[in-house]
Amino acid sequence: MKKFLMILLAAMLLLTAFACSKSGQGDASGSQTVAVVVAGRFGDRSFYDSSKEGLDKLVADKGVKPITIECNGENHDIQTKNAAEKADIIVLVGWEFYNIEEIAPDYPEKKFIWIDNATSAPVANVLNITYAQNEGSFLAGYIAAAVSKTGTVGAVGGEDVDTINDFIVGYEQGAKYYNDSVKVVKNYSNTYDDPAVGKDCALALNGQGADVVFQIASACGDGVFEAAKEKGFYAIGVDSDQKWIDPEVIICSMKKEVGNSIYTAVSEFLAGDTSRLGTTWIADMATGYVGIGYGEDSMTQQVPEDVKKAVEDLKAKIVSGEIKVNTTR
Amino acid sequence: MNEFSELLKSILSPGTFNEMLRRATPVAIAALGGALTEHAGIMNIGMDGMILMGAFFGVLGSFLFSSAWAGLAFAILIGVLVGLFYALFVIKFRSDEFIIGCALNTFALGLTSYMSRAIFGTSGAKGYPSLPDLHLGVIGKIPFFGGVIDGHSLFVYVAVLLVVILWVFVYKTPAGFHLRAAGEKPETLRTAGLSPDRMKWIASVLCGVLCSIAGAHLSLGYLNGTFAENMSNSRGFVAFACVIFGGANPIKTYLASLMFGFFDAIGLRLQGTISSDLTGIIPYAITVIMMVYVVIRSNRRKKHAQKRDPKAAGGAA
Repeated sequence: MKKFLMILLAAMLLLTAFACSKSGQGDASGSQTVAVVVAGRFGDRSFYDSSKEGLDKLVADKGVKPITIECNGENHDIQTKNAAEKADIIVLVGWEFYNIEEIAPDYPEKKFIWIDNATSAPVANVLNITYAQNEGSFLAGYIAAAVSKTGTVGAVGGEDVDTINDFIVGYEQGAKYYNDSVKVVKNYSNTYDDPAVGKDCALALNGQGADVVFQIASACGDGVFEAAKEKGFYAIGVDSDQKWIDPEVIICSMKKEVGNSIYTAVSEFLAGDTSRLGTTWIADMATGYVGIGYGEDSMTQQVPEDVKKAVEDLKAKIVSGEIKVNTTR
Repeated sequence: MNEFSELLKSILSPGTFNEMLRRATPVAIAALGGALTEHAGIMNIGMDGMILMGAFFGVLGSFLFSSAWAGLAFAILIGVLVGLFYALFVIKFRSDEFIIGCALNTFALGLTSYMSRAIFGTSGAKGYPSLPDLHLGVIGKIPFFGGVIDGHSLFVYVAVLLVVILWVFVYKTPAGFHLRAAGEKPETLRTAGLSPDRMKWIASVLCGVLCSIAGAHLSLGYLNGTFAENMSNSRGFVAFACVIFGGANPIKTYLASLMFGFFDAIGLRLQGTISSDLTGIIPYAITVIMMVYVVIRSNRRKKHAQKRDPKAAGGAA
C-alpha cells in the first residue's frame, strides 16, 4: 500500500512538472492566446454563443490560440485566474465577474476585457465593454407595442439585476413611446438554464394579456418561444438574431453584437493598439453594436414595413440624441 | 386597494392552478420513484441526475427514431440502466448512497452536456417529435375547472394514474409489503425467506424508470422536444423534499409536489408586488418549514410509541 502511494505521488509530481513546462513554452511560438471565460455555459443561442462566434472568427482571421472556459454559474474568480495563467488576452463574458478589480492587478502583463459590466474605477489592464441594450430594447418595445393587438406587451427577465433591468426600462419606454396607454408586464425566471420555467413565465404574462413577449433570459428563452408557439402569440429574441430558431413566432430580435465587439477589441490589441485599456467602451447604437434584427428576408415577416421604417427614424433620433433612453446604469 | 384586488384576481385565476399542475408534474413523477426507494430504505438524492438523463435520452431517442414514443421508450430503457447502475453501487457494493447520489448527479450533467454538444452542437436540441397534449372536450368547457385541467401534456394525466397505481402497489399488494419491510425491518424479510436486497434492486430500477419518465415529460412533453443543458434545474431535490414530507406515501407525496407547484405559480404572480429575489426563495423557505414539521412529527410519534411500549421503542432506537 505504501509503495503504491509513493508511486502515485511520484507520478503526480512528474505530471505537474510536465504541465508547468508546457505552459512556459506557450508564448514562444509568437501567436497570442485568447481565453473566453463565460459566466454561464454555451448553448444559449444568444449572449454566450455570440462571444464564441467572435472567438472563432479571431481564430480564423488572426490565427490566435483559443481557450474557452464555462463557469456554469460558479467559481468565477478561480476560472478568471486559470485563464490568466494560460492566456495573453482574457475575455470575461458576463456581469458576474466583478472581482476582476482585485484579480487583474495581479497579472499586470495580461490584458483583460470584461463584457457587460464595468469596474467601479478604471483598472490599468482592463477594458470594460458595456452595451447600450436600453437603446436596442427601446426599439424592441416600440415594435412590440406596434404589433400587439391587446395593447399589453410582456418581458421575461433572467434575474432582477441592473443589466437585465436595463433592457426592461428601455423596452417599457419604447412601448410607451408608441402609445402611452400600452401596458407593460414583466416577470423574472430567476434561472438562465431552465426552459420549462421560461415557458411558465411567458404563459403567466400571456395570462395577463400580453401578446408579444420579449425574452431576456438566455436558455430560458427557448421556453418563451415554445409558449408563444403553443398559445399563438409573438416573441422577441435577444442578443443574437434569434429569428431562425422559430421564424413563425419570433418577430424580431434585439441584437447586441457581443461577438463583433470582442473581435474588434482583440484585433486592436493584436495590432498593438492598447489605448482602450483602462477605459469603458459603451458599444451603442451609434457605433452599430446594438440594433434590431429581422432575420432573413425569406422568413415570414410579422413586422409591417411602415413600422420598420418608423424604427429606422427612431434609430436616427436615438443616435442624434433627440430621444434619450432611460437606463439603470 | 385596487392593485391588491387585481393581484388576488390573478392569483385565483385558472392560470395559477393550471401552472401548479404543470410545474408539479415532473417533480411528482420523480418523487413517486423516490417514494419507492425511500420505502426500500435507500436515501436517494440521485434523482436529479436521473431526471436529466431521461430528459436527454428522451430527446435523443425522438431524434434518432423520429418518434416521441420511441424517445419515451429509449428514456425508460436508460432509466432501467441508471437504476441498475445505482443499485449496483448502493446495494451490491454497499457504497454510501449519499455519495453515489452526488456522483450520479455530476455524471449525468457531464454526460448529457457532452453528448448534447457532440450530437446537436452547442445550441442544444429543439423541435423534435413530441408527446401529444390532451384536450378533454366537454370537460374543458366547464368554467374555471376546465381551464385548470384541460390541454396539458399527456403525462400530467398519467401522473395521477401513477399515483393511484403506486399507492395500491405499496399498500395493498404483497410485493409492496415486502418492499416496505426491506426498508423498515429487513431481518423480518430474511426470516420469511425473502431477500431484502432483491426488493431494493426493484425499487431502485423503478425509481430510475419513473425519474426518466419525469425527464422525458419535461423535454418531450412540456417543451415539445427541447433539451437544454442542466434543464432538470434541481427538480430532483425538490422531489426528494416531497418524498420526505409526504412520508413516502404516493398520494401525500403527490400533494406535496402540488404544493410546491402552487407556490412556484403564485411566486411568479407576486413578483410585481414583492422583489423577485424573495419570490424565488419561496420553494426553499417552504422546504425548511416542511422539514421542521417533519422533525416535530417524527419526534411526537417516537414519544407516542414510547408511551405505548417503552421496551420496543427503546429496542428500535
